[in-house]
Amino acid sequence: MEIHKTSWPMRILVFVLFLYLLAPVLLVFPISFSGDQVLRFPPTFWSTRWYVALFENSKMLSAFSTSLLLASIVTILSIVIAVPAAWVMTRVKFRGRDLLFNLFTAPLLLPTIVLGLAILIVFASFGLLATMRGLVFAHLVVTLPYALRILAVALNTQDQTCEEAARTLGAKPLTVFFRVTVPMLIPGIVAAAALCFLVSFDEVVITLFLTGPRISTLPVELYNYVYNQADPLVAAASVLLILLTLGVIMIVERTMGLSKTFVK
Amino acid sequence: MPVSQSLEEHLKLDGISISFGPVNVIPSLDLSVRKGEMVAFLGPSGCGKTTTLRMIAGLISPSSGRITVGGRDITRLPIHDRDMGMVFQSYALFPHMDVTRNVQFGLQMRNVSKQDIERRSKEALELVQLGHLAQRKPKELSGGQQQRVALARALVIQPSILLLDEPLSNLDAKLRDEMRLQIRALQQQSGITAVFVTHDQVEALSMCDRVVVMRNGRIEQFGTPTEIYERPATAFVANFVGRTNRLKGKVGSDGQLVAAGQPLRATTKLSPGPVDVLIRPHRIALQPSSGPATTGDGNVVEGKVSSIIFIGDLVQYVVRAGDEEIVVEEATRRERAPLGVGDNVHLRWSADDTLVYPDDGK
Ligand SMILES: Nc1ncnc2c1ncn2[C@@H]1O[C@H](COP(=O)(O)OP(=O)(O)OP(=O)(O)O)[C@@H](O)[C@H]1O
Ligand SMILES: [Mg+2]
Repeated sequence: MEIHKTSWPMRILVFVLFLYLLAPVLLVFPISFSGDQVLRFPPTFWSTRWYVALFENSKMLSAFSTSLLLASIVTILSIVIAVPAAWVMTRVKFRGRDLLFNLFTAPLLLPTIVLGLAILIVFASFGLLATMRGLVFAHLVVTLPYALRILAVALNTQDQTCEEAARTLGAKPLTVFFRVTVPMLIPGIVAAAALCFLVSFDEVVITLFLTGPRISTLPVELYNYVYNQADPLVAAASVLLILLTLGVIMIVERTMGLSKTFVK
Repeated sequence: MPVSQSLEEHLKLDGISISFGPVNVIPSLDLSVRKGEMVAFLGPSGCGKTTTLRMIAGLISPSSGRITVGGRDITRLPIHDRDMGMVFQSYALFPHMDVTRNVQFGLQMRNVSKQDIERRSKEALELVQLGHLAQRKPKELSGGQQQRVALARALVIQPSILLLDEPLSNLDAKLRDEMRLQIRALQQQSGITAVFVTHDQVEALSMCDRVVVMRNGRIEQFGTPTEIYERPATAFVANFVGRTNRLKGKVGSDGQLVAAGQPLRATTKLSPGPVDVLIRPHRIALQPSSGPATTGDGNVVEGKVSSIIFIGDLVQYVVRAGDEEIVVEEATRRERAPLGVGDNVHLRWSADDTLVYPDDGK
């Protein structure tokens, strides 16, 4: 018998793989409703006490709002900077363009720990440590390459004859950009924004170097929390994070269609 | 003395050339298009038709030469000031705007009052019979409808020149015939000067006042459809436009043309050397060789039918004559007993229909 792509052994293999990948994520849900004092599976009894505890933890709440604000600012700035930059990279011919593009997107390849250290050293001398501004700059270093790459790909695959048509109809370059190029780029912009938001919201390694008692983000706060005590509060927080991520992806799906946005 | 409007020169290309990297795609091109006429750029793929059109539109600039419209030099004028309406092969409609917004775009760029924008865009859509689809997005339209929106969008700005780059190549055969008539009618109604790029000779001959036949970035011939068809300037034009038989021939030092193993008459002036002799298949008459062999002042060649292809309203006979195969096309007729394979026949055509060109080695 011929072994088909969807034959039983194959299906079971795929199922096991998915289970392996998703198990930790799935386990978080029951654990978050645990009534126990410690992380344990299965829980001895159920309750929502850790959700209550989470919402009464002022440190967590302020870290959450910091993260939300930070991710929003970083996302907006990334898009505002990356759209024109990607346009220049794909529509203007100049010498060393490819080199410049690779340089801009290089941070994607660097180990984050190296980036974190570098940023720590530079920011320390500018007094940017443990400030919102410092966090924004640091996160931009991480998100901009993503945004630039996604938008450049989108601009390259976009039908450029529409821009040419607009020009023959009398539109000046700036008008073409705002009335044709950008509206046609919306799927790419949504994809880039979603990714920037999630990356910024999730960022731990670099952020660890830059946060302190004065200002901290949710992932860092969770990290610190787990370091000191292991109770199901982090599971409750994780559930909320997973839901937030799903929420962002849902918005993208609703507005654009997921496969259309991320799969080119 | 009144000067005929149609003889006024409008678009003029003066020695324009362009290279892409090391490749000299257009070496030097001169062309003059009259006001209100529709000119076709006809030629095989890659001969530089689109490139020339894009230089006129301003989408690329020539390495040298001058482009003038109505005497005004526009060679260095930015695209958005050129006042050209262009219809792209892919239509290039704005996907995020509905039909009305697409058509209004050009007007909005021109400081036209709101009322006039409304009125003119509406008229333009009526003109292409799309008034009822004004609210649709381009992707909700068929190919032919998109094509007409593109046409309306280009025409509504009343450009000084309309440029069309293979506008019909994405349509099916029936729609193509329909749009051919429509485009021509619209062009004549508005009296607009138009350049029409195509590699389809039927489009070029049937729609346009004059035809530019291009090859490798050069103009082979520029003339009316009849001139192009009846008096092709080169063997290339004769081959590219319409079907032809091509015989290897020779002109002797006495000026006598010889092909298919026998002397032939032609009206062209001949200089000695190897030549190509071209005869259109439907200009040859076929007669059974048993019939009367009148010579007249034309050419008569003896041959033997080697195959017959029936194409409905047309029959193609392949006739072996000497060491050449000659294709003859006849309208299906009944008055004569049908010829069969193996029949001996006389091929007959006039000296006028014998096109002779120096052998270009191809
Ligand atoms: N941007 C470009 N860079 C390099 N070469 C080009 C460019 N544009 C066109 N060419 C070359 O110039 C030549 C003419 O191209 P053009 O598009 O004008 O041909 P065409 O006559 O329109 O052919 P088709 O009927 O296939 O559309 C081709 O050999 C093509 O490869
Ligand atoms: Mg072309």
